[in-house]
Amino acid sequence: MEGNGEISDTDSGIILNSGSDSPTTVTKDVTTHTRAMKLKHQDLKDKLEICLLELKKLCIREAELTGRLSDDYPLLPGEKPPQIRRRIGAAFKLDDQSIPQGTKDSELSLVDAELALQMKIFEAARKLCDEERLGKAVKKSRLLQYKREEKKVKRLQEVAFQLRLERGRSSPHPAFNASQDLGTSDDSSLSDSVVQDEEVISQLTQLSCTGEAEASSQSFTNGSYISPSVTPQPLPLTPRRSPNPSINSMMSLTSSPADDLPPIQHSPWTESSLDQPYKKSKKSRSSSKTSSPTKQELLPPLEDCLAQAGVPVQLSHLRLSRSQSNSTPSTPEMRVHRQLSLRLSSPDSPFERDRGRTRSSRRRLTDYKINLPETSPLSNYGNHAGSEDSNSEHSYTSYNSSPCPELQSAFPHSSPVGCYGPPAFPRNGFYHNSRYQSSPNFHRGYHNEDMVYPPHLDLARSYYAQQVPCPQNRYEYSAVPNHRGPRPLPPNPRLSPSPANYDSPHYRPSSISPQVVNEQLKSWHRRSQLKTPRSRSLDRQGAIRLKNAPGQEATHYQSQKYNEQVIQRRAPPAAADETPGHWLVDDSHFASQV
Amino acid sequence: MAHTPGQPVSAVVERIEIKKLRQGDNLILGFSIGGGIDQDPSQNPFSQNKSDKGIYVTRVSPKGPADEARLKEGDKIMQVNGWDMTMVTHDQARKKLTKKGEDVVRLLVTRRSLEEVVKQSMGPWHK
Repeated sequence: MEGNGEISDTDSGIILNSGSDSPTTVTKDVTTHTRAMKLKHQDLKDKLEICLLELKKLCIREAELTGRLSDDYPLLPGEKPPQIRRRIGAAFKLDDQSIPQGTKDSELSLVDAELALQMKIFEAARKLCDEERLGKAVKKSRLLQYKREEKKVKRLQEVAFQLRLERGRSSPHPAFNASQDLGTSDDSSLSDSVVQDEEVISQLTQLSCTGEAEASSQSFTNGSYISPSVTPQPLPLTPRRSPNPSINSMMSLTSSPADDLPPIQHSPWTESSLDQPYKKSKKSRSSSKTSSPTKQELLPPLEDCLAQAGVPVQLSHLRLSRSQSNSTPSTPEMRVHRQLSLRLSSPDSPFERDRGRTRSSRRRLTDYKINLPETSPLSNYGNHAGSEDSNSEHSYTSYNSSPCPELQSAFPHSSPVGCYGPPAFPRNGFYHNSRYQSSPNFHRGYHNEDMVYPPHLDLARSYYAQQVPCPQNRYEYSAVPNHRGPRPLPPNPRLSPSPANYDSPHYRPSSISPQVVNEQLKSWHRRSQLKTPRSRSLDRQGAIRLKNAPGQEATHYQSQKYNEQVIQRRAPPAAADETPGHWLVDDSHFASQV
Repeated sequence: MAHTPGQPVSAVVERIEIKKLRQGDNLILGFSIGGGIDQDPSQNPFSQNKSDKGIYVTRVSPKGPADEARLKEGDKIMQVNGWDMTMVTHDQARKKLTKKGEDVVRLLVTRRSLEEVVKQSMGPWHK
C-alpha cells in the first residue's frame, strides 16, 4: 500500500527531527494519528469484508430456501449474482387462506384443493427442472415430469373451471371462497366454457377406451378428479386458487419471480443419454418418482420400465408375471375392488381392443373374488393392506394398460383423470384411481418386488396358490413358462404373517347357494371361461401343489371343473361380506369412473 | 466454430465410427448429447461460442462404444451418418443417433484440440 510507505517515511523523518520545535511534534501527532486511523480503517475494512462474506453466505442460504436471492446480497459492481440452487422440499408451502370448508360444494373444493396442490407440484417440478448441474437422466426425467405436471395442472384447471361453470349455472353463489367469485365471472365468456366442455369430453372419450363407455362428463369431473384429491396428500389441502383457473394460475406460476424461464424457444440446455431408445427418457423419472405419491401417475410405459431394469424380457412374459403377482393378495378390500371391476367388465365386453388381455384380467378378478377370505375385512386389511394395495395396483395397471396402449403412448400423461392420486391411497379412492393410472409406475414397483424378494418366492407362491382355486384361467399368458422362473412372484413379505387369514376362507364350507351369486359374475365367468381355453403352465401348477396342497387343499386343485364350481359357490359369500358402505363408496366411484 | 448462417461451415472434423452395443433391446452408444436449436445455447458448457446451438457430446461413458471410438466429451457433432447436426433440435439429433435399425453410426465431430493441432501444424505457412 502506498499509504503505508508514506507513513513510514514521515515517521522516520519525525523521529529524526524529534526534540525539535513544536510544529514538528504536531505534525508527528497528526501523522501518527492518520496512521492509526488508517490502520483502523484497514481493520474495519477487513471486518466488513468478513461480514459481507457472512452476509453472502446467509443470503445464499436464504435463497436456497426461498428460491429468491435477497436484495441484501452484496454485489460488487460487475459481479453477477450467484446461481442459486433452491431446495424445493423446503419451499413447499401451502397458503391456508382457503381450506376446503365443510361438505358443501365438496367436489369443487376438492378439485380446487387438488389443483392447488398440483400447482405446487408443478412449480416444484419446474424448479427442479431448472436446476443446474444435474445428472443427465435426472434432468431429463425432471423435464418430462415438469411437462406432465403442467398438463395435469391444466387438466385440473379445466375441471375446476367446468365445475365452476356448472355451479354458476345451478346455484347463484359459487360457494367456495371469495377468490372463486372471479372464477364465476369468467363464466360470462361463453366461448371459453364451450371450449372447456369440448376438451373435457374429448378426455372422456379417451378414457372410455379403458372400458367404460357410459362415461358422462358429470361423473367424470366429479368423481374421478375428486377422489384422488381426497386421499392423496397427508398435507393439509389448501386450495389456493387463482381466480381464473385456466389461465391466471398458470401465469402466476410461470411468472413467479424466483426464476425466469428461458424464452419458450429455448428449453434449458439438457443432455440426453443415447444409451436408451428414444422414448425411454421417462423411465428415469419413474424411478425418481416413486417416492412421492403425486408423481406416480407419470410413470413410463411398461416397456420403459423393463428397459430400465435391464430386463430383456418380452412384454408378454412380463404381463404374465404381473398377473401372477396380482393374484397373490386377496383381501376383503380386494373383493370390493373386484366386484367393481367385475361390473365394469361387462360393459367392457363390447370393447374390442386387446381382447385377450382384458379378458384375462377379468378372469383374474373373478378368481380373486371367489377366493376371498371370509375374515373380517378390517383385520384383513390391516394385515394385507400394503401388499394388497400394491398388488391391486399391479393388476389394475396391467388391466388398464392392455386395453388401450395407444392411450398411454400418445399421452404420457395418459390417465388424465385418475393419475392424481398417490399410490398410498385410502383404498376407496385408491381403487378408483388405479383404474386410470398409467401402468408404468406400478409395473415398476412390481418389478422391484420381484427382484428384491426372490427368497420369498416360495411363500408367495404358496399363498398365491391358495388364493387361486382356478389356476387355469390365470395363466392364460403362461404360454412361456420359462420366464416365470427368473422373475419370481412378487412376494409380499406381509403376506407371510397372516396365513391364518387366507386359510380360513378356503376351508370354510361354502354353503351359500349359487343363487346368490351375482348374475354378472356368473355370466362373466362363463364367458371368460369359454373364451380362454388356454391352459396354465404345468410347472407352475405343480409347484403350487407341492407347496400348498397338503391335505384338504389338494382337493381344490383336483379338477378344473371342481374349481369352477367352488368359485361360483364362493362368490356369494364374498359379496355378502361386503358392507353396504363399501358398496356405496365403490358404486360411487364406479359411477364417477364411468 | 462460430459460423454465420448461410455461410459454409469450415471445421476440422474427425470421422468417428461407433458400433452400437446391443444390450437386450437397447442399442447402447455410450455417450450423451446436449444442445440443439431448441435449447438454450448459453448454458452449454462445451461450446466456445455461446450462441452455438450445435449438438455436443456431454458425456462419454468409460469403455463404452463411444469411448472406444475415441469420441470425447465436448466434441461437437457435425454430422451423423451424413445428416447435418448443426441445425437440428435436440430430439432430432437424438433420433438420428439412436435409430434402432442401425448398428453403426458414423459421426463427423469437431473439437477444439483438433483445430489447434491442425493450426499448429499448418501454423507457419498457413497464417
